[in-house]
Amino acid sequence: MSKPNIELQAFRTKRGKRLLSHLITTSLQYKLWIAFLLLLIVLGLIGYYRQLRYGLVVTAMRDYTSWGIYISNFVFFVAISLVGSLFSSILKLNKNLWARPLTRISEIIAVAAIICAAVIIIVDMGRPDRIFYVITHLRIQSPIIWDVIIISTYLVISILLLYISLLPDIALCRDRLTEIPNWKKKLYRITAINWHNHPKQIAMLRKVNKILAIAVLPVAFAIHTITSWLFATTWRPGWDSTNLGPYFVSGAFMAGAAVIIIAMYFVRKHLKLSKYISLIHFDKMGKLLVLLSLVYLYFNINEYLGPAFKMVGVEGEHITELFVGKYAPMYWFVQLGGLILPIIFLMFKRFRKPLPILIISIFVVLGAWLKRFLIVIPSLQHPYLPIQGVDESYLHYNPTWEEWAITISSFAWLLLIITLLIKLFPVIPIKKYQQGSEIVFKQNIF
Amino acid sequence: MSLNKIFSEMKSETKYIRYFLEVILAVTLILGANTISYGQDDLQDAIVTLSFIDNNEAKIIQAKATDQDGSPIEDLELYFYVQRTFSLLPIGDFFNATDENGIVEIPFPEDLPGDMEGHVKIVVKILESDMYNDLTLEMIKKWGVATPIDQFEEKRSLWAAAANAPITLVLSISGMILVIWFIIGYIIFILYEIGKIKSDIHTHFSEEKYFEDIIESF
Repeated sequence: MSKPNIELQAFRTKRGKRLLSHLITTSLQYKLWIAFLLLLIVLGLIGYYRQLRYGLVVTAMRDYTSWGIYISNFVFFVAISLVGSLFSSILKLNKNLWARPLTRISEIIAVAAIICAAVIIIVDMGRPDRIFYVITHLRIQSPIIWDVIIISTYLVISILLLYISLLPDIALCRDRLTEIPNWKKKLYRITAINWHNHPKQIAMLRKVNKILAIAVLPVAFAIHTITSWLFATTWRPGWDSTNLGPYFVSGAFMAGAAVIIIAMYFVRKHLKLSKYISLIHFDKMGKLLVLLSLVYLYFNINEYLGPAFKMVGVEGEHITELFVGKYAPMYWFVQLGGLILPIIFLMFKRFRKPLPILIISIFVVLGAWLKRFLIVIPSLQHPYLPIQGVDESYLHYNPTWEEWAITISSFAWLLLIITLLIKLFPVIPIKKYQQGSEIVFKQNIF
Repeated sequence: MSLNKIFSEMKSETKYIRYFLEVILAVTLILGANTISYGQDDLQDAIVTLSFIDNNEAKIIQAKATDQDGSPIEDLELYFYVQRTFSLLPIGDFFNATDENGIVEIPFPEDLPGDMEGHVKIVVKILESDMYNDLTLEMIKKWGVATPIDQFEEKRSLWAAAANAPITLVLSISGMILVIWFIIGYIIFILYEIGKIKSDIHTHFSEEKYFEDIIESF
């Protein structure tokens, strides 16, 4: 059904054909992928129905571990959402032209991740119907409220960042794509907001682009710093640290870069975009990942060396549990497999090729998720003021199947949002950047 | 009378006796239960009068218990407390029983904090006595240590209620929110303006220029 459409659609250039043909065709592989994601989402919904029906008792969260994998997952999503600002702001402001084709992917991932982060917090609430109490009973002194405010702000900014960079391309889709369903035509027509490459429009868009690129930076830093303060302002071993803000932010950039590499690999492969996401991009991303990992390694050393040297009281127990206790295998996997070995491997050019760097990035992302688990759970199991005669079950935390189903389905949601956005909009900016050219937008690029 | 008949009559008599005994037992139980209940109702109300002796050396709470006839009640256990924020703080000995004059005396601790002016609420109770009904007496005395205004409740602080958030915090957070949301609002306004611009010019580019594009000025 989709094949005739692509044949009927007239493309004026090869570039147009390469970058837009996936918006017209729908492969079986794509349908199976969506079906698989929907299956995971349904499993998560079953788990969530049980949680709503019976309460948070269906989870393994108890008086000690009151934040489980939902919150680990939330921190992870917030972390990878920072990648949008890395490309749309830091690399853009530093005029790293090589990163331009990756900007759209990073913005899409940022939007999807921050939506999932906001939703997983609601899942963590025992009574989601009381979400509005957060606003009606707002206490400005609470870091949780700061987090709610900054997440909403970052969500809006991420959507704006994506939308503003997409706008000329949406107009292009509106004007040029004829062999698409009517609802898609309507979608492009509405979202293109009468864009027609008018010089005034171009000037105004450039202006907001510049404002946003600057404005997103403090918000992006704030979102993860404040998320770290949720922990740092709570008196628990492992969290009682002034290092936590930069530690979280640097970890977020590292995880985000790894997620981009994974996305690059699959987008390149399935949309046949090897001309646009080239080996140079993998090489550069590999080097960037090494840099970001080194910064994170530095903060890791800061975070653990002090308490491990002193080994004071409960803080010492916490460190012992991580280094040689029941969390040691996970801890050393995270530090070695998710941080140190990737740095070493990526220093060699041969590992910065698509497949090796994909595997390394998967390890980095897995390590990043487990790292959030290690930040949240062991600390909760070592309170400074233990409960007297505490129930034995409170001392352990093994997530229930409902928690796993909901967590896995949150990843399915993330991938579904990313997939749908990539399916709906050009994943590589259509406009081509060429240094020294006069400032013009194309009315006809293909 | 045959032996069988005798046995048969005995059997029926035994049956009647059993019924009779069962009825007696049931009546006894009901009456017994009523007796217990009457017994509870029979508890008397004791009259406890409190006196507060404050000489330079010590502060003494004196309680005198009398029955309805005015006769002193001997060996009646009284419980003395001071009301704290969340519960009652016991004072005196573990058991405080009245003497033959129906009197018991308890020294009041010198160092208990009171309100801003030193008021404390003293509570005296009769609890689960065999002969007298439960009783609670409360009396406010200016015997506590005067405590200045409760800083935690009254002052603006991080741990105060929402209405008492520190002004600097309220201003700085509100300022940051306003700045960033003003920028967001401005961007949305510009997008709205972009949408209003009509397509009144048509620029045609040559084929060669198709892929020359913008380089942002920053």
